[in-house]
Amino acid sequence: MRSDAAVRSPWILHFDTGSCNGCDLEVWALLTPRYDVERFGMVNKANPKHADVLLITGPVSLKAAPRLKALYEQTPEPKVVIACGDCASNGVPFYDCYNVCGGIDQVVPVDLYVPGCSCRPEAIMDAVVQGIELWRKKVSGQ
Amino acid sequence: MTDVVSLLLLAFGPLAIGLLLGVDRRITARMQNRVGPPLLQPFYDLAKLFRKDRRSTNRTQVSFAVAALLLQMAAWCVFALGGDLLVAFFVSGAGSLALALGAFSVRSAYSQIGAQRELLQMLSYEPILLLALLVLGWQSGTFMADAQDESMLFLLPLVIITFVPVLAIKMQKSPFDLATAHQEIVSGVYVEFAGPYYGLLKLANWFELALVFGFLSLFFWDQNVYVSIVGKSLLAFLFLFVTVLLDNSTARLTREQMVKYALTFGLGLIAVNVLAIIVEAAL
Repeated sequence: MRSDAAVRSPWILHFDTGSCNGCDLEVWALLTPRYDVERFGMVNKANPKHADVLLITGPVSLKAAPRLKALYEQTPEPKVVIACGDCASNGVPFYDCYNVCGGIDQVVPVDLYVPGCSCRPEAIMDAVVQGIELWRKKVSGQ
Repeated sequence: MTDVVSLLLLAFGPLAIGLLLGVDRRITARMQNRVGPPLLQPFYDLAKLFRKDRRSTNRTQVSFAVAALLLQMAAWCVFALGGDLLVAFFVSGAGSLALALGAFSVRSAYSQIGAQRELLQMLSYEPILLLALLVLGWQSGTFMADAQDESMLFLLPLVIITFVPVLAIKMQKSPFDLATAHQEIVSGVYVEFAGPYYGLLKLANWFELALVFGFLSLFFWDQNVYVSIVGKSLLAFLFLFVTVLLDNSTARLTREQMVKYALTFGLGLIAVNVLAIIVEAAL
């Protein structure tokens, strides 16, 4: 029961590492009445110290990399990292570009990847629901 | 009988507040045309926070979080066991101060601004709440919580209305949600508290709210115990609804506006009510 209650309140930190804002708009769309992720207890906290789920967009520009790392380290365990969109997954339109790291997983460990340019809100929601399952395992120490 | 009621109140007061906050989030969601979280969401949030990794910026911060919770619990105990209203009020005030000091102990701009705003919020609601309690004590002849056996609905209606700004400040609701202004300073006073320590502060806020709703409930009383309980609950729900409505229909004020509006509105209404009583007595 306790571990079940503990995964019913995933708080979000959304961070843009140099995205074109396409995926960011879709992340924000989650909070609107149409998708209403607060049904799952999700709240956008905008604060790594309160966050459980990190929704990261963008191909991680070189300037953003240390900030992303800092945000990841400031988020207390257990946490789930979701790479939202093609850029965040593998930096695809910017592949081999001189000023990007080419995906979130080049900087911090990623749990789930959401494809799409930009990724649909439904896909992000699906990832978050899968993320909650993953989180449940992390909470119960598996 | 009173002992049993006291103990029940002691245990279930904060739980009722958790449920009330769940109702609050539901009503807010419905007002924004959303479905909203489950009714027990505040409890899920707490359970989650207490299972997170223990991380703090410094030890002072942790001490003040614990102090805030203990003081708010003490204040609630004083109230629920039928003690002095003013003692409960001042102990709870010390709890709010501990929260501000905890936020001041961290070198983070958001935390510091949040703490300063928390102090300004205290400056705004404490005179109102204190005067409301003084007037209540003046009319009922005692400050003991368990001796309040008079309905004040028709005698002190304006004093009861002053609980609206007090509740808006205590529940961190717009237009008075300055200390936790999400869009400006993230979560202000709470920004540097992580995991279980944030949970402690959330719990402290529940006890604090239980006390304020407790004060509010003293203004209604009836000979019949059941009518009394239903009336007190209705009063609490009515004020919750008004606070939520205010939250969803107003924009955040600035610091100066908050102090000015809250104090003139609150103290003004209390003064008018007191004057009316004095004039009526003289006639």
